Amino acid sequence: MFKDWVYPAYARAMRPRKKPRKRRPTERGQLVLTGALLTAALGMNTESSFVYQLFALLLCIGIASRVTLRMARPNVSVRRMLPRYATAEQPFHYRIRISNLGDEPEYDLVISDQPTIKLPDRQQYRTEREPFEESRNAYDRFIGFHRFMYLQRQNTGIAMTPGKADEIAIKGYTDVEVEARPLRRGIVSFSETQVMHQDPLGLNFGLTHFENSETLLVLPKRYRLNPSWQVSGGRNFQPGGITAAWSVGDSDEFVSLREYRDGDSMRKIHWPSTSKSTARKQMPVVREYQDEFFARNALLLDLSSNNAQVIEETIAVASSFALDLQNTDSMLDLIYLTDNGPRIITAGRGTSAVNEQLEALATVQSCHQPFLQLHQAILSHCRLITGCIGVFSTWTPEHESLTHRIRAESVTLRSLVISDQELSPGPFTTLLTSSIQTDLLTA
Amino acid sequence: MNLRGIQSLALLLWGFQSELLIFAIPMTLLWEGRFFFNRRWALTKQDFYLLADLTSVCLVLMIIFLFMNRTEYHFIRTLMQWLPILLFPLTITVGYSTHERLTLDVLFYSLRRQKQPVTQAWDLDYLLLGFLLVASGTSKDIGSFYFPIVALLIFLSLLPLRSPRHSRRTWALVCCLVFLGALVTHTGIRETHLELRKRAQVWLATWIQQRTNPLKSQTSIGQIGKLKVSDKILYRINAPEGVAVPGLLQEAVYDLPSANSWSVLKPQFSQQEHTDDFIWDLIQPKATDIPLDIYHEFHRDSDLVPLPPGTVRIQDLPALEIQKNHYGTVQGQGMVPSPRYQVTYRPGQNQTGPPGPSDMVKSRAYSGVFSKISAQGVLDSNQPLLSLERFFSDFRYSLYQPSSIISNPVEDFLLHRKAGHCEFFATTTVLLLREMGIPARYATGYAVQEYDDMLGMFVVRQRHAHAWALAYFDGRWRAVDTTPGIWLETESAGSTLLQPVFDLVSNLTFLFQIWWNDQKQEDYEPYLYGLGTLLTLLLIWRISTSEQVVVSRRTIKEEEEAALVQGDQSPLFQLEAKLLTRGYARKPGEVFASWLDRIGYREFLALIPSHNRLRFDPKGLTESEVDKLAAGVEASLSQLNREDQVNAEDQVVGN
Repeated sequence: MFKDWVYPAYARAMRPRKKPRKRRPTERGQLVLTGALLTAALGMNTESSFVYQLFALLLCIGIASRVTLRMARPNVSVRRMLPRYATAEQPFHYRIRISNLGDEPEYDLVISDQPTIKLPDRQQYRTEREPFEESRNAYDRFIGFHRFMYLQRQNTGIAMTPGKADEIAIKGYTDVEVEARPLRRGIVSFSETQVMHQDPLGLNFGLTHFENSETLLVLPKRYRLNPSWQVSGGRNFQPGGITAAWSVGDSDEFVSLREYRDGDSMRKIHWPSTSKSTARKQMPVVREYQDEFFARNALLLDLSSNNAQVIEETIAVASSFALDLQNTDSMLDLIYLTDNGPRIITAGRGTSAVNEQLEALATVQSCHQPFLQLHQAILSHCRLITGCIGVFSTWTPEHESLTHRIRAESVTLRSLVISDQELSPGPFTTLLTSSIQTDLLTA
Repeated sequence: MNLRGIQSLALLLWGFQSELLIFAIPMTLLWEGRFFFNRRWALTKQDFYLLADLTSVCLVLMIIFLFMNRTEYHFIRTLMQWLPILLFPLTITVGYSTHERLTLDVLFYSLRRQKQPVTQAWDLDYLLLGFLLVASGTSKDIGSFYFPIVALLIFLSLLPLRSPRHSRRTWALVCCLVFLGALVTHTGIRETHLELRKRAQVWLATWIQQRTNPLKSQTSIGQIGKLKVSDKILYRINAPEGVAVPGLLQEAVYDLPSANSWSVLKPQFSQQEHTDDFIWDLIQPKATDIPLDIYHEFHRDSDLVPLPPGTVRIQDLPALEIQKNHYGTVQGQGMVPSPRYQVTYRPGQNQTGPPGPSDMVKSRAYSGVFSKISAQGVLDSNQPLLSLERFFSDFRYSLYQPSSIISNPVEDFLLHRKAGHCEFFATTTVLLLREMGIPARYATGYAVQEYDDMLGMFVVRQRHAHAWALAYFDGRWRAVDTTPGIWLETESAGSTLLQPVFDLVSNLTFLFQIWWNDQKQEDYEPYLYGLGTLLTLLLIWRISTSEQVVVSRRTIKEEEEAALVQGDQSPLFQLEAKLLTRGYARKPGEVFASWLDRIGYREFLALIPSHNRLRFDPKGLTESEVDKLAAGVEASLSQLNREDQVNAEDQVVGN
């Protein structure tokens, strides 16, 4: 109730300004401002104390700081150089090239890259919670400002640390390294780059804004996996060192002899049999081998939970498997349900790179389509795969039925259920959101 | 940020201004000591929590102490002056610890339980500097040096923040302009304040007419609706056993009537002399005079002092001086909150001056109605009191006034409604007495009627505020109260059911205040010293048992330079130079061990560990170890020289 009432005020206060700010106080600037307010209150009676003199001094310092900000404004241009991908919750560095266009060297500039601020909507503010919100004090929980700010940060998606350019020569440039930490997966937008310069007293930063729109794809965060999570279906120690699998087979696996057909390689002619056969049929005989194909696994992703945190962790676990199950000799099918129906993305052995699967996982959203839609897609796919890992965000009888049917198709299946609370035992491994990394390493 | 020297100057300034040098000097020594003492304590968050909690408790105790002793100390000023002492333990602990700043969870208890990490931190050095400068300015007796010193300290503290974008000259110029601007500004503020205060006094005198004004009393005559009265206890009066308490406490007396207010013709107050013990004798006291204890806290610097009629002596009044006007109204100046004062009064004694022409002035606003009454013949100047009693016999008391606006409320009261509150009765009584040719005045104050069994004292509530007439009979002024006696019951009818509870709380607070006021500083001084000693011992124990680390006083640049310089005199470099003459150059980045291994001089590898320790171990080598290394290198060089010599001889022989 209160949250509904207070939401518009927060949204209005946090909405990006139409007129960009021209200055920002430093920490000392804030202290001077606070001091001025305190001394204004304490020094009102000029008869009883001399605090009003301190107030006058702080006031003039504040005014001088603001006025002198107009001095020595930087004459520069900026260019951002972003990497192709980033990974959620993994800090990364990138460079911003700042070029001096003026006729004076530039000193002591602070470069701050600005992502596009995305406010939470009313529904999100009402329903989603900040992690450990229950540990905040009663006032903070009631007011809900921290929740609003947390959701805003999450929606914005990235936290930036400003970089510093100590000196830029006349007509020269320098590359400033900026640290960023993506807070979530998906697409993060950058709106502008700010170049900040200080006033002589060091109390305020003057801001110069450079419109600099760009986007960055943030891949889901990933966990380290225990090697035991590898699905079966591979066969090692094959002639030639090929690790391709049986189910599967390999090119050295002899199956039978047959008559020569046009297009068969001469190297495949089985001369002893040919000599016997030629006498009878005057046709060469060739060796026939098992068709060559490779270990093919499936990664089944379920996004039907209503819990946003569970969904995110489910995607993170699926991404970890997507990357870990890839090798040069196997293929991996990522199967999940979208609002437009089931989607299968195959990677490996020249079909496509794992990047495509990770990109898809970076932008995938929770889906509440009937789970039965996924049954058909998976079961028709079962004859192509040897192993499957199911990463589920919930566990219902429908899920259980699906896993039974997959196993009935002689496909090795390992089921993982991500949950924020302990589940009753079943044919799956539970990964608690609070200890996923530990569980994945120890399972 | 390093505030070396600046903070100490601020501490000394504060100590000097606040007369707390006894604290400021050791604090300064402790503060500066951290720049000479390179040992730091590795304190945990829990330690800071404990210290912050202790600081908070001390702050609360100080606030309570100041509140209880606000008669002796100015609350805000004293609190501000002592705040640096409260804040100092926390600041100096941070200074001597391995931490540079304090996260907000240390200062705010509510943040400690949350699981989100608290990253915001405060630099307590600057916070303390700010409090020191403010505290220095709260003293009244500061010379003209406060402003320049404070400006100098602030500019010096801002100097390290100067951006390299701006030259020192620019910075100095800005500081000069700020100084001049601030000088003009604070002079302007001062002048504006004085001018505003002067004007405000005039405005107040003109427009804000309160009933407590000794020169004018605004009545509620002519107002509409129900008058609001409060049950708040204002005064408690304690009289000796068996002595009658005066029925009225007189606050102010007026002589000039107008439409709905009373004012005075002679507004001048004369100062009353007091003895060294602050006893004011208004009249020469006698042994038969009756003493009274009146409990009331004055919250204003200047206030009217309610007194029983015939007051002879005032003592223990928390005022620097008192003034009295022609009408006997007494006003205290320079008053501080104090719960009690004592008066001695003599029943029947004149407190107000003799009558004058102004005591016969009739109201022009209501002259018609009084002429009409006079014409009716109900007023008998020979028996004025009896006439008044007859006249008001069918009047009743009412706090309610009709909602329709009446052009002449006094006429309405006297001739039609015949109902009103005490101001109506007092005003009309004065004017009727004057109509009968008897000098009369209008008096305001309080009725003393309610006895409190719990305290054994009379209590006077806000709703007991009263007005009555003073008439001059037989050479003295007598109170003539024509308000029907039922007025007290009528006003008490509006009390809430919870009033006994409020009274109980009020009485308990009063008793505690009286008890606290009777306490002397000597009574609790031993406890304070004992607590201080205990805390000091605890602190010494805690400091001596805490984990300590030695920190370098060098800057990062100095550290880097020292790292480069350390061990550059290692004897092994002589060996390197020797081998270089043989053509064995060390590659960039190649360590000695790899190099010697590569060029095949493995017999010198035994020297490497000592060299590495000399070069890179912060503790370095002992003198004997250095000598040993030098001897080893010397031996190696001798061996190489011998080889060179042999080779040279071989070449000579070969040639």
